[in-house]
Amino acid sequence: MSMNEDRFIQRDRMRFTKNTLSSGLALLAILFNVLYFVSIYKSDVGSYYYNIRMGASVLYNLLFMLVVFLCSEGVKSYKSSFAWVLLVIGALQIARIFYLPLTAHTAVVTVSKQKTIVMQNAQFIRVIVYLAASGACCLLAGIVGIRKSRALAAHMAGLEQKAA
Amino acid sequence: MATLSLQHLDKIYDNKVQAVYDFSLDVKDGELIVLVGPSGCGKSTTLRMVAGLEDISAGRLLLDGKDITQTPAKDRDMAMVFQNYALYGHMTIYENMAFSLTLRKENPNVIHKKVLAAAEILGLTEQLNKKPAQLSGGQRQRVAMGRSIVRNPKVFLFDEPLSNLDAKLRGATRREILLLHKRLNATMLYVTHDQTEALTLADRIVCMSMGHVQQVGTPLELYDTPANLFVASFIGLPPMNFFTVQVGEDALVSECLRVPLTAEEKELLKPYGGKEIVLGVRPEDIVSGGDIPVRVFSNENLGMNTLVHGHVMGKERITCKLRGWCDYRAGDTVPVSFVRKHFFDKETTNAIRGEA
Repeated sequence: MSMNEDRFIQRDRMRFTKNTLSSGLALLAILFNVLYFVSIYKSDVGSYYYNIRMGASVLYNLLFMLVVFLCSEGVKSYKSSFAWVLLVIGALQIARIFYLPLTAHTAVVTVSKQKTIVMQNAQFIRVIVYLAASGACCLLAGIVGIRKSRALAAHMAGLEQKAA
Repeated sequence: MATLSLQHLDKIYDNKVQAVYDFSLDVKDGELIVLVGPSGCGKSTTLRMVAGLEDISAGRLLLDGKDITQTPAKDRDMAMVFQNYALYGHMTIYENMAFSLTLRKENPNVIHKKVLAAAEILGLTEQLNKKPAQLSGGQRQRVAMGRSIVRNPKVFLFDEPLSNLDAKLRGATRREILLLHKRLNATMLYVTHDQTEALTLADRIVCMSMGHVQQVGTPLELYDTPANLFVASFIGLPPMNFFTVQVGEDALVSECLRVPLTAEEKELLKPYGGKEIVLGVRPEDIVSGGDIPVRVFSNENLGMNTLVHGHVMGKERITCKLRGWCDYRAGDTVPVSFVRKHFFDKETTNAIRGEA
């Protein structure tokens, strides 16, 4: 098989196979987000988290999981619009590092007359790793999805041209 | 492609029930052999023994001269197509067809080429992205065949592949299998209980009953010169008419029948003089006009032919396939004659042939 033929077949295979790489990465992003979600809140920091931000954060996490799951199904069948959504969500996920985790890391609360940092270094690193990994997975899934959907569209156009 | 040799195969189950007795057959390269017989005759068991899905109790199985009696099914290089398709419902047609090769970790590009080639042969290219539930029975069966084709096996095994299809689809799929065989020139073993499939598909037919091979031959041989009463009754639609008759000087006689014999037939039946034999006459070998009166009790018009069911002299039941459109009514008497006769030994049930 020549290089050209090999490449052609590789692209042609996309007509019948799913984009499991993008879809898998999107699902991995959900997994990292879950890890982030279960590691961020602590009960020994007084009432620091008991405000509207917590409710918004919970809602956002639920929405994130739903949207990313839908996108994982969309990119599986080479739909580029879902890949673009994944790019946006990935960027937001990175941006989230500077919202709740960073503010918690710098915040100090008084519990039992003792000043305590809301988010210690270890937890902070863990949390930003989860968020960064989740964001990176989304971005990668989006990039791969867009590239593959473009490649498939070009291949289909070539086939149509050939048929005509 | 390959030659297959089944040598004195026996199948005895653990409960001591014997399903197959001394089955011997040599399948030539590129031959399509059809195993035909009624339910429970051992044809599927034989096929499963060849596939390696059943242990062989006795005998040897050779593929291209190599003994594969003890070889596991996965190493036999045979592909089997089942009656119920055995497709994975959650996979697309492409994935179903590629599955066996994917399991073998073949190069995905090679798999792709093979699947597309098989789909092209079977006319499934447009269906490759669909799921099995979206296809008709005939298409699903083609997918099952495609799954076999991509493996490029030495032998194809078909276990009643058309039984789940309706009559129209069965006919179409049967023709597709025939074309496929011609195109691939593959060695195929095909099991069916439908004699029409057997007659139309086979290079050679193996007719089985109660675990025994009754006759092996070309479709024409089985139809024209059946080896015994079983084959005569099983092959041919409507089935052959049988009459117990006594061999007289110049005719076969019974209580209600007198059939004159030709000089050749007299010579053939000489050893049976005065004895009872079974006379077999195919419905299509009966013509109107003659000295055998048939009292009609029902009449089926098939277009080109008419099936006339009746009694000879009110006793022996007979079915005649007469040419053209006939409008007989129950109670009418139609004179007929036999243009071709088959003779069977009443005791052994074997056909009486020249060498008898």
